[in-house]
Amino acid sequence: MEIMKEYWPFLVPLILAEFVLMVTALVHVLRHPNYKFGSRALWIPVVLFVQILGPIVYFVFGRGDDA
Amino acid sequence: MSHFLVFVKKELVEYARTYKLLILLVVFIIFGIMNPLVAKLTPELLTSFMPEGMFVTIPEPTALDSWAQFFKNTQQMGLIVLLLVFSGVLGTELTKGTLINLLTKGLSRQAVVLAKYTAMVLVWTLSVVVSAMLTWIYTVYLFPDGPMGYLFVAIFCMWLFGVFLLALLLASATMVRGNYGGLLLTGLALVILMVVNIFPEAHTYNPLSLGAKNMSLVSGTVDPSSLYAAMVVSTLAICGLLFLSVLVFQKKEL
Repeated sequence: MEIMKEYWPFLVPLILAEFVLMVTALVHVLRHPNYKFGSRALWIPVVLFVQILGPIVYFVFGRGDDA
Repeated sequence: MSHFLVFVKKELVEYARTYKLLILLVVFIIFGIMNPLVAKLTPELLTSFMPEGMFVTIPEPTALDSWAQFFKNTQQMGLIVLLLVFSGVLGTELTKGTLINLLTKGLSRQAVVLAKYTAMVLVWTLSVVVSAMLTWIYTVYLFPDGPMGYLFVAIFCMWLFGVFLLALLLASATMVRGNYGGLLLTGLALVILMVVNIFPEAHTYNPLSLGAKNMSLVSGTVDPSSLYAAMVVSTLAICGLLFLSVLVFQKKEL
């Protein structure tokens, strides 16, 4: 907790940015049933638990067409 | 000209809708904040991982370390993410066939290629600016030490290198079908540049030098004039690659 007190001006925006990325990706996974590959069961944990990289990999490789 | 502007706008809207803009901005924001933090915390982390009884004196981190992180992260992960995100720059629209309608309705192919490039460069510029601003703000907050040598030149060089890579990606994308072929060709071109870089004589002109000397510029050990040749070569290469892209794309069967 010591570190949180000293570095909150860094940690708060960092966590916020990661959170925004995670939530956008999660919403997208839940709203679109078609993926380039993989399934919902794969992408939900990837997006939720792989920090930063998970959502990026989903949007770049996994995201299906918007149709 | 009006076609060009309309298409640039369409590209930017598309980047926003396909989350490309979001990904890049968030990644570069995260880097921007993390650079100074990592620089500050590295010594503490190192000491906490040391086995007991071992003492190593680690110099107190400075603003230089923070900018070293900035250049390292932006040039490695940042550029990789940039290329990945834009890897389908022509491929997706060609395989889906959405571009054909527009082209048969009279949109010039030259406008398409140049507008795509402009839009990519705009996004890259925004990413660099945001990341550099955040790093700068937090660096000043953490390390209130002296002014920086040629910081702006160093950032400009890195930006120019990114612009060069995007031109390379676009040229590759016009020559190869599919989404990832262009990425592969870009990688190949980079490897060739690295091989050329084995010869010390090539360093003066190689665009790779733009990404290699950032920290020497910031610490003031290298004068910007030593990079002028590489800047000129890169700019010429960018123009050449764009010319090539337009030429190949105009001949391409869709």
